Amino acid sequence: MDIATQLLAGFATAATPINLLWAFVGCAIGTAIGVLPGLGPAVTVAMLLPITAQVEPTASMIFFAGIYYGAMYGGSTTSILLNTPGETATMVTAMEGFKMARSGRAGAALATSAIGSFVAGTIATVLVTLFAPWVAHAAVQLGPPEYFCLMLLAFTTVSAVLGKSALRGITALFIGLAIGLVGIDQITAAVRYTGGVPEFMDGIEVVLVAVGLFAVGEALYTALYEGKSSNTIQPSGRVHMSRQDWRRSWPAWLRGTALGFPFGTIPAGGAEIPTFLSYATERKLSKHPEEFGTTGAIEGVAGPEAANNASVTAALVPMLTLGIPTTVTAAIMLSALQNYGIQAGPQLFTNSANLVWALIASLYIGNVMLLVLNLPLVGLWVKLLQIPRAPLYAGILIFATVGVYGMRQSAFDLFLMLGTGLLGLALRRLDFPTAPVIVGMIMGPLAEAQMRNALSIGEGRWSVFLERPVSVVLLGVVLAVLVAPALWRRLARRR
Amino acid sequence: MAVQPQALAGLGVAGLGGLLAWGAVDIPSDAGYAGVGPNFLPWVVATALLVCGALLTLQALRGGWKNVEAPSGAEAGDWRALAWVAAGIVVNAALITRLGFIPACALCYVLAVRGLRLSEGKAAQGAAALTQACTDVLVGAAIAAPVFWIFTKLLNISLPGLTASGWL
Repeated sequence: MDIATQLLAGFATAATPINLLWAFVGCAIGTAIGVLPGLGPAVTVAMLLPITAQVEPTASMIFFAGIYYGAMYGGSTTSILLNTPGETATMVTAMEGFKMARSGRAGAALATSAIGSFVAGTIATVLVTLFAPWVAHAAVQLGPPEYFCLMLLAFTTVSAVLGKSALRGITALFIGLAIGLVGIDQITAAVRYTGGVPEFMDGIEVVLVAVGLFAVGEALYTALYEGKSSNTIQPSGRVHMSRQDWRRSWPAWLRGTALGFPFGTIPAGGAEIPTFLSYATERKLSKHPEEFGTTGAIEGVAGPEAANNASVTAALVPMLTLGIPTTVTAAIMLSALQNYGIQAGPQLFTNSANLVWALIASLYIGNVMLLVLNLPLVGLWVKLLQIPRAPLYAGILIFATVGVYGMRQSAFDLFLMLGTGLLGLALRRLDFPTAPVIVGMIMGPLAEAQMRNALSIGEGRWSVFLERPVSVVLLGVVLAVLVAPALWRRLARRR
Repeated sequence: MAVQPQALAGLGVAGLGGLLAWGAVDIPSDAGYAGVGPNFLPWVVATALLVCGALLTLQALRGGWKNVEAPSGAEAGDWRALAWVAAGIVVNAALITRLGFIPACALCYVLAVRGLRLSEGKAAQGAAALTQACTDVLVGAAIAAPVFWIFTKLLNISLPGLTASGWL
């Protein structure tokens, strides 16, 4: 069927008043939690997962996508004004943006980041519209061996390549895989690692781990270590860009988008690499290199922000078409789909075409909403930063309780939440990445099933992975991804 | 950063691997057509964690992990504050089915907020602490109550109440 007609049908679904309301509430909540420290989009979506029991799938996916997007806009605001990047992808924004804010140009930084996010988000959504059906079509050909190799690729990049230390990344991944092992084996129904505790039979909920690691872990970390730290908020001033700001921003936006989108689409994930690449590119190309790292260069905000937004939007491609999440939030949205019994993957575009196209249409709408919410109203969001830390984090614990308890109605889960919170505290203090834990725990069981199905196809021979061209190529890419950084470093040293 | 926590963490990871290996012994290996059964991945994970743990310990003893970013915040932890916050969560978990969502969460809020204030050095002392706790109970309830109503009334998700009315 024609993409245009399907997209129009999607708009018809997404633009019903009730769905528009869900999108709006999602964007508003997303912006708020993006601005506030302690909560990210992943935790928020996780805590709101219980609503999947009542709300219909299309509305809840639109709602969650709004939160996902909104949090990015909100996160940039905090990075610029407070120099506290909520996630690694906005670290680059904080580098230049906070310097601009300190030299009194916060308004321009906020404007270029919001408009740049809008431009990149919209372009990326157009590309998703054109690209995703095509990928879905191609993905139908893939069998279990190829899927397993794709997941292996995602595991490798998320754990070994993206972080600072491959060893710690891999350790985090295997901790996640270990958590994913608990419960009943999907294929043979063998019971694994329940220790006789009945609550473990159904496995450990993703919500619980995400909320524990991030929200509770953050609250515990704050109590333990951050009591005496303080931040000063820079005044935001009027959000406005001069003619020269525009001229310097728009090429950076486009370059950022061009860098961000491809990185998002490959099931290897992470917005960190494209944002850093974009920053390096802008620094090299800028006519004002002296502003970088001193007074703050507007290109250094515009490019990475666009790259971040483009890659986050593009991450929807592997999530929807292959069922492979590359960001923590995407992973949790995937488990929301699983709650509905909807399996993301190539069939999603035929079986649940309505949902997919309504979701894509809502991205267009959400982008416009967020621009409106964030440009004129930025002062309102900044006020959220005045909430004192103690009641804020204590309040977050109440929301964490709702999310975790609401999922299964089990008080046992609340004890477990404290346990994962302590784990999160240790991981953060010891500089372990946390994303591999979540990705490992969600994709572990999926990858295991694909691997065993693949081996069944090959009648138990491991060579099945080497007999199919696509899986050989993918294995080659995995190997390259593992070896390339080391080679790269060696080359750089020689030069 | 001192070497000891890193070495301890390495040992902890290896210990987790050992625990998983110990558990993997009891998992059936019934493989079917696949050639690998439900105990395959557990052994892989257990081995990997043992290896990672060993490497982490080794690196820690040889002058510390590589590329570690100094953690944010204070050098020494405020364990008393942590205990208060953790106690809040424990009390909540223990009492939520008995007291209902709103009172249990309000209690959790009071304990947690006291812990967080302690860490900032802003917790009230003596008689003032009681007044502060009373205010906190009200604030906690004021946060928990609307959440409770939205979930039970609007979304029909059952949360424990003190009464069966769904309002308290």
